Amino acid sequence: MEYKFNFLEKTHKINLEKADDLFKVIINDKQEYNISDVEVESNLITFKADNKLHNIYFYSNKDITYLSIDGENYTLEFEKDISTKSKSGKQQKGNSVFSPMPGLLVKVSVSVGDKVKSGDTLAIVEAMKMQNELPSPRDGTIKKINGKEGEQVDALQVIVELE
Amino acid sequence: MFKKVLIANRGEIAIRVAKACKELGISTVGVYSTIDKKSLHLRFMDEIIWIGDSPAISSYLNIEAILDAVRKTHSEAIHPGYGFLAENQLFAKACEDAEIIFIGPSSKTLNLVADKVASRITVKKVGVPIIPGMEMTCTDLIKFKQAAKEVGYPVMIKASMGGGGKGMRVVYNEKDLEKSIAISQREALSSFGDDSIYLEKYIEEPRHIEFQVLRDNFGNCIHLFERECSIQRRHQKIIEETPSPALNDEIRTKMGESAKKVIEASEYTTAGTVEFLLDKNKKFYFLEVNARIQVEHPITEMVTGVDLVRQQILIAAGEKLHLSQEQIKQNGHAIETRIYAEDPDNNFVPSPGKILYLSEPQGPGIRIDSGIFQGWNVPPNYDPILSKLIVWSENRDMTIKRILETLKEYIILGIKTNIGYLSRIINNESFIKGNFDTHFIDNNEEILLPQHNNLDLALIAAAFNKKYGIKKKQVSQLIRYSQKTTPWQEIGKWKICNH
Repeated sequence: MEYKFNFLEKTHKINLEKADDLFKVIINDKQEYNISDVEVESNLITFKADNKLHNIYFYSNKDITYLSIDGENYTLEFEKDISTKSKSGKQQKGNSVFSPMPGLLVKVSVSVGDKVKSGDTLAIVEAMKMQNELPSPRDGTIKKINGKEGEQVDALQVIVELE
Repeated sequence: MFKKVLIANRGEIAIRVAKACKELGISTVGVYSTIDKKSLHLRFMDEIIWIGDSPAISSYLNIEAILDAVRKTHSEAIHPGYGFLAENQLFAKACEDAEIIFIGPSSKTLNLVADKVASRITVKKVGVPIIPGMEMTCTDLIKFKQAAKEVGYPVMIKASMGGGGKGMRVVYNEKDLEKSIAISQREALSSFGDDSIYLEKYIEEPRHIEFQVLRDNFGNCIHLFERECSIQRRHQKIIEETPSPALNDEIRTKMGESAKKVIEASEYTTAGTVEFLLDKNKKFYFLEVNARIQVEHPITEMVTGVDLVRQQILIAAGEKLHLSQEQIKQNGHAIETRIYAEDPDNNFVPSPGKILYLSEPQGPGIRIDSGIFQGWNVPPNYDPILSKLIVWSENRDMTIKRILETLKEYIILGIKTNIGYLSRIINNESFIKGNFDTHFIDNNEEILLPQHNNLDLALIAAAFNKKYGIKKKQVSQLIRYSQKTTPWQEIGKWKICNH
């Protein structure tokens, strides 16, 4: 059985093959593990990987599995179909500049028609006392601005569009 | 003692203060902004009152709205917590004018300690060392050049009303001085509404060490030893510990006595903190007074056994301090880590959102001051602090081992946090050796970033969950089943024995 998950804009393939009372697991066609004693509770999964016991807390919905291992969080996006575009893997390129977080649009530094260079600050979004500058992904001309200074914006909301 | 106190804050500190009030038999009034309607702190209050819209400026920073809430609820005193209005002299003055007790120092003292240059002059008079430099603000380039030459480059330009690193600038030679002065002035004006700046010697490889002090209205004053706060990111402390691995008893005693002198000279009352810089030759210099209960106060409570918030309230209510300096001892070692909603994989951008799963560690020597719960939506409007994990053990080595294990057990899913990042700092060799200064994070930036060593395990867990995980439907069936019968009912008829 094969599963695919996206993590930080990379897709990882994992194969589970049943072999007697354990599973042979192959990750990205390279790394191999022998997995046994798998127990899945609602927020805890227990298994042995090459005979070492692991208890891993997780929360999962249809598309995303959130896990915590040794204090480090992993957010894995389940990939059903490779053609579906990954939302969290959305990059600051092309024509749209979006806010990486929900927050307050404190400043719009450009107007429609302005010519900008790659890296120029187009707008500033503030959340939790932190200001985040939104840079232009490329040289270009401002086509549209969605939002006014002082307005609340959502994560991944497109703030500025380039021509 | 007060009958009713209004707590003008939110999150973990509002809860911390509410608990102290209840233990003193004081009834508590909680305040909230629109987005905080369901926040955890409100569950610890006897009364709650809405003070304004979600932006802090309309609510937690809104002096009129808070004073209005005090009048409506007939509260006698206000506890400001930290941040927001805690060190705002206009707020303290407004409380004084309205005859409401502000649990903190007087507005006059707040005024003095906010002014860095005035503080330097006051402190120098009582013989506490200050960083060599100017003792007045000015705009005259010639005077800056002269002062820089006297103390020697590199020098630091600072905003007199500054804080949080804004308006601060290191200058390495005379030709950069003029430009840096202009930038500092601009930053100071836009951040603090005041462009006064001054110059002092830049202390290289400094450690940031502060002393906790309590002083009552009758002049009784004690210090409760130091907190080592050198681990900072973007001028924000993230890990604090006590005792400091950099101090010996001789310097500790000197610094403690100096801290008390500073507090006395500023006519400071209630709980306060005196910050010092310690240079690589173990010389210390007064930096500033933090006129509030601090985020990191719990580590002092863990090693001294003194409830600082309770003492702060008692003093504000006019009671005499019943603790003597001889009674205060440092027992064992404590470390605090601040848990923030931020994404270490993405340049630490704030990560507000819904907490889908929460499991907090427990065990000997573990204290969590938390403002969160499972299912809560962390709002984007305020500081990203979620909670504080404070760990105590007999000595520094054991405390490090204990907090590293404890951080692994702190599970917050749904949003991004800095928990793994904190572990990597504490696990760093220099940290373990106690060998670090305020540049630690900058100097180790690369190696502290997430390594994702356990990605394979995460993938395995996620895949098996997909394969075997309990589907939503099954869970609800299980719950229905368990509600229908209990094992006792399944046994059949039963009765209580008489013997």
